Amino acid sequence: MSAGLRLSLLQVFTPLLAILFAALVAAGIILAIGESPLQVYAIMARFSLTRIDSLAVIFLRATPLIFAGLAVALAFRANVWNIGVEGQYYVGAFAAAWVGFSVTGLPAVIHLPLAVLAGMAAGALWAFVPIVLKLRRGAHEVITTIMMNHIAGAVVLYLLADVFRDPTQIGTPRVRTPLFPDSARVPLLGPMLRWIGVDIPAHSALNWFLVLGVVVCAVAAYVLARSRFGYEVRAVALNPSAAEAAGISLDRIRFIMFTTSGAVAGLVGLSDILGFFGYFDIDFPKGLGFVGISVALLARNNPLGIIPAALLFGFLERGAQGVQVFAGVPREVITILQAVIILTIVVAYELLTRYVRVQRKREAERALGGPAVAIATADGG
Amino acid sequence: MDLLISLVNVALLASAVRLTVPILLTALGAVYTERGGVFNIGLEGTMIMGTFFGAAVTHVVTQALPAPAVPALAPVAGMLAAMAAGVLFSLIHAVMSVTFRVDQLISGVALNLLAVGLARFLNILFFGVATQSPSIRGFAPLSVPVMRDIPALAPVATGISPMIPVALALVALGHWVLVRTVFGLRLRSVGENPHAADTLGVNVVLLRYIGVLISGAMAGLAGGYLAIEQGRGYLEGMTQGRGFIALAAMIFGNWWPVGALGASALFGYFDALSLRVVHTGVPYQFITVLPHIATILVLAGFVRRATPPAADGIPYTKEEG
Amino acid sequence: MASVVELSGITKRFPGVVANDRISLAIAPGEIHALVGENGAGKSTLMKILYGLYQPDEGSIAIRGRQIDLDSPRTAIGLGIGMVHQHFMLIPRFTVAENVILGSEPARAGRLDLARARRRVVELVDQYGLAVDPDAEVSVLSVGEQQRVEIIKVLYRGAEVLILDEPTAVLTPQEVDDLFANLRRLRGEGKTIVFISHILEEVLAIADRITVLRAGHTVGTLRAAEATKAQIAEMMVGRPVLMELPVADVTPGEVQLQVEDAVVMGGRGRPAVRGVSFAVRSGEIYGIAGVEGNGQAELVEALVGLRPLASGHLRVAAQDVTGAGVRGIRLLGVAHIPEDRHRRGLVLPMEVWENLILGHHARAEFGRGAFLDRASIARFAEDRVSRFDVRTPSLRTPVLALSGGNQQKVVVAREFGFTPRVLVAAQPTRGLDIGATEFVRRQILEARAEGMAVLLVSAMLDEILSLADRVGVIHAGRIVAEFARGTSSPREIGLYMTGTRRAETPA
Repeated sequence: MSAGLRLSLLQVFTPLLAILFAALVAAGIILAIGESPLQVYAIMARFSLTRIDSLAVIFLRATPLIFAGLAVALAFRANVWNIGVEGQYYVGAFAAAWVGFSVTGLPAVIHLPLAVLAGMAAGALWAFVPIVLKLRRGAHEVITTIMMNHIAGAVVLYLLADVFRDPTQIGTPRVRTPLFPDSARVPLLGPMLRWIGVDIPAHSALNWFLVLGVVVCAVAAYVLARSRFGYEVRAVALNPSAAEAAGISLDRIRFIMFTTSGAVAGLVGLSDILGFFGYFDIDFPKGLGFVGISVALLARNNPLGIIPAALLFGFLERGAQGVQVFAGVPREVITILQAVIILTIVVAYELLTRYVRVQRKREAERALGGPAVAIATADGG
Repeated sequence: MDLLISLVNVALLASAVRLTVPILLTALGAVYTERGGVFNIGLEGTMIMGTFFGAAVTHVVTQALPAPAVPALAPVAGMLAAMAAGVLFSLIHAVMSVTFRVDQLISGVALNLLAVGLARFLNILFFGVATQSPSIRGFAPLSVPVMRDIPALAPVATGISPMIPVALALVALGHWVLVRTVFGLRLRSVGENPHAADTLGVNVVLLRYIGVLISGAMAGLAGGYLAIEQGRGYLEGMTQGRGFIALAAMIFGNWWPVGALGASALFGYFDALSLRVVHTGVPYQFITVLPHIATILVLAGFVRRATPPAADGIPYTKEEG
Repeated sequence: MASVVELSGITKRFPGVVANDRISLAIAPGEIHALVGENGAGKSTLMKILYGLYQPDEGSIAIRGRQIDLDSPRTAIGLGIGMVHQHFMLIPRFTVAENVILGSEPARAGRLDLARARRRVVELVDQYGLAVDPDAEVSVLSVGEQQRVEIIKVLYRGAEVLILDEPTAVLTPQEVDDLFANLRRLRGEGKTIVFISHILEEVLAIADRITVLRAGHTVGTLRAAEATKAQIAEMMVGRPVLMELPVADVTPGEVQLQVEDAVVMGGRGRPAVRGVSFAVRSGEIYGIAGVEGNGQAELVEALVGLRPLASGHLRVAAQDVTGAGVRGIRLLGVAHIPEDRHRRGLVLPMEVWENLILGHHARAEFGRGAFLDRASIARFAEDRVSRFDVRTPSLRTPVLALSGGNQQKVVVAREFGFTPRVLVAAQPTRGLDIGATEFVRRQILEARAEGMAVLLVSAMLDEILSLADRVGVIHAGRIVAEFARGTSSPREIGLYMTGTRRAETPA
């Protein structure tokens, strides 16, 4: 086996090993509460992977995670931290909903894109504040984005409860916006899938945002790998001082990547809002932004890696339902499993990076016949 | 005028003092870990572990004790359990960031995710529901002898949690430890220039572990205070981002305990304000996020003046291969 | 004479590298023993083993005749071995006294006894004449003072054997004289000194005996009194060395780089460059000599657009580029070999081809629209690699896998890429071995011959004197003297570098 092939295989096996290790840790927890891990995992696999409705749910759950993971990854790629995807997708979803219910009489080809753009714009706006404060004032984005998450919750709650609450629902315990017309709803994938022979259930909300997510990831991967801009992003991430000396504006790269991250975050909630609910209500799912961090870490911020990573988390969430219903094990076991996957994966990737680095050095020395060339670095000089 | 009165009234100040404590304790912990050169953004999750274990152990000990036993025993046990939970939880961070040298922010973020799931899981295991514990009793409150008889001062002079003087004592202790002790000098040296410290035989890894673990103990204690003294029980999400606000307080306090006290008091005041109905015409939803807005403003307005330890957040590698 | 330190058969391997290969060395008590060799010969590694920072893979160490397992600096300190590192191991925000006691603090039950610490420092200062204020914060001290703090640190720990790693690299000639006086005084007090250097004049001036290392091996040990420069140089490199490079006759042309009254702010909001003016013509090398930290770094950053000018003007080829930024200045044909290639010059994890277009990546020939054209970049990169003899297994090797010399060749190959009219070279040979140093110096002379205007900033006075047509001496942010080639001596320049002497009318 050639050295290059061995390294490539290692890159693939590292996350698998980390997942396996995390599964062992979770097995310990399952044992501790007196259940059989093998049985729980078997139920999880059978429930999630052998039923067409479960598969549809996995893809449906993965759809927002693709956007959330990509949003986090885009910021990471420029060495800035977007812990604010959570708040950005929340305001994004509300903005899309607002365009959905407040605009009427437009054809779908205009109304739907308008709602999507509104979501992206709101997400970008919510990212704009922390990145400007970072670049201009030096405020650490990790803390400011988390604060922006709290503020997003408050702003959306105010708009929802005090300004845009569906008047027909007042007097009921339901706090939600009016319903959108069909022109703002995204078409489902069901009809097309059934046409090609995949018989997903009629009630599945799997929709074209899944396809959009895959396309956006592919575009991001291509731009980052092949464009001049992507080259600048890599240089900034790997050595900002050298990038600066080469005439690349660090602020510009970070600003673009961070607001793009926010715009992508604005898409996170839209599959649910425009494809399933048709209104925004007070129980709109929270926490997807944080799962997005896990997805991005698992994918090592590689846009193409985001897709399998999001599917894995979709699988885990579906599996958690099965485990809870059929094995009587709290679904939180799966939440813990997700967190342990992240802890092990970052250690595994760290060790892998160091290993690959040493291997590349050895390779260079072998190719040049003798180690003498690299002594200077080992010598500290 | 009414607004002014409502902004400075005594009851509000008393509440501000109570709410300063959890931010202050965590900020003090953050001073230790960052003076040793390790970011710990996982302090929010560590606080969550403190809230759960503080409440759970207080509850269990209360149940186990015969009724007339020492009333302070259960909350003391709860506080100690919260600290122990914080230490164990931050040990994960120490292993990840000091031993394996992974990105310290990533490790901290992962811990915050873990804490949320773990607290829910354990709460189901102990109490059958995911989000809250049975209600518990805290310490018997203290009062100041003469002041408590003056009606205008009664709100600040009575109902004082014993944890408040403890927290203040920890500020003084922290300053003394960092400036006057061998441990403090070495901890700071490890945060400023670990290579230099290493060449002088200072154990960089050990000191960084200790710094991280102290921060865990303090954040755990802060969580215990929230659950036992403030909330009278565990409630999911009760930390409300205070772990992050505490980091801002530490930065604003220029990485010193006394500075952290001042900054924490500021945030505690906004926290107290957010819990009151102040008639300003501003929707209540915005009042509830006053501490978060204040945090952003402080970070944006003042951090340029602060100087972090030179090696803060940088993993230490002994041999560059 | 029994040895105080005896290293036998020391071997130390790093991943893929044998840094020390069966090295043996005996140090006699009370001597100044110099360890010389090229960068990469293994001197620093050997001394880090003696100080307990690295553990040898093979071999043994005996201190005063006893076999010792040196597992940490603490053990070495306990045995009376102290080290003054090349890069000072000081904590700028601590005081001198705090720096001195760190790791061996006088204390009662964990409580620092700062008064006793201060007293000890004052005693050492008096005993060895190492003038420094114990209460000063280290960040405000000069380089020479910082070095004295390092020596005090070692003495405070009761060192009998002092290892000094390249101690003169950062000093002015006058400071070197002070250091040597101090070292002789220490020897007089019975201390043993191991002196690491690659500057032969210094070694011959201070050492009693000299051990030469080459490529991880011991070549031999000589008595300084019986050794000659040429002899040691040949032992170091294994072949006779060409010390002086031929300098072609070139008539300077138009002014290509002009600086007028430049004021540049430093780190703490204080001006680091205080009104500097000079002009460099094509076919001319203008050297800036000075002790590091006198504004050179800030001046260079301002010239290439990385730092704004607080006032004054900057012209490239008669165009005013004040405030133009890195990209604007680069487009006018200003190339930059940065002082710290790892920080400013290269993106180490990126591959060779990627590093070769850094800063050129926006050029039309490297892409189609927004996207990079890999084929055209590969052609360019192959041409650069072969023309500048960059030793790399492939264009897709990450630069971090290359040796220091080859990394610097990547920087030089890139910066010479599109026939620049101005070259700003800061410390271009720092940390390179003799071969790579010679290569880089030749390239700079060639650039001059081709009509480039070269600004050379170097802390190595001999480098400036051998390459520059004119030398400006910088002190405290001002050019305090200017000399044409061959009109001054190192000693005279040293007086200006330290601010001891000032020209009446600096040019």
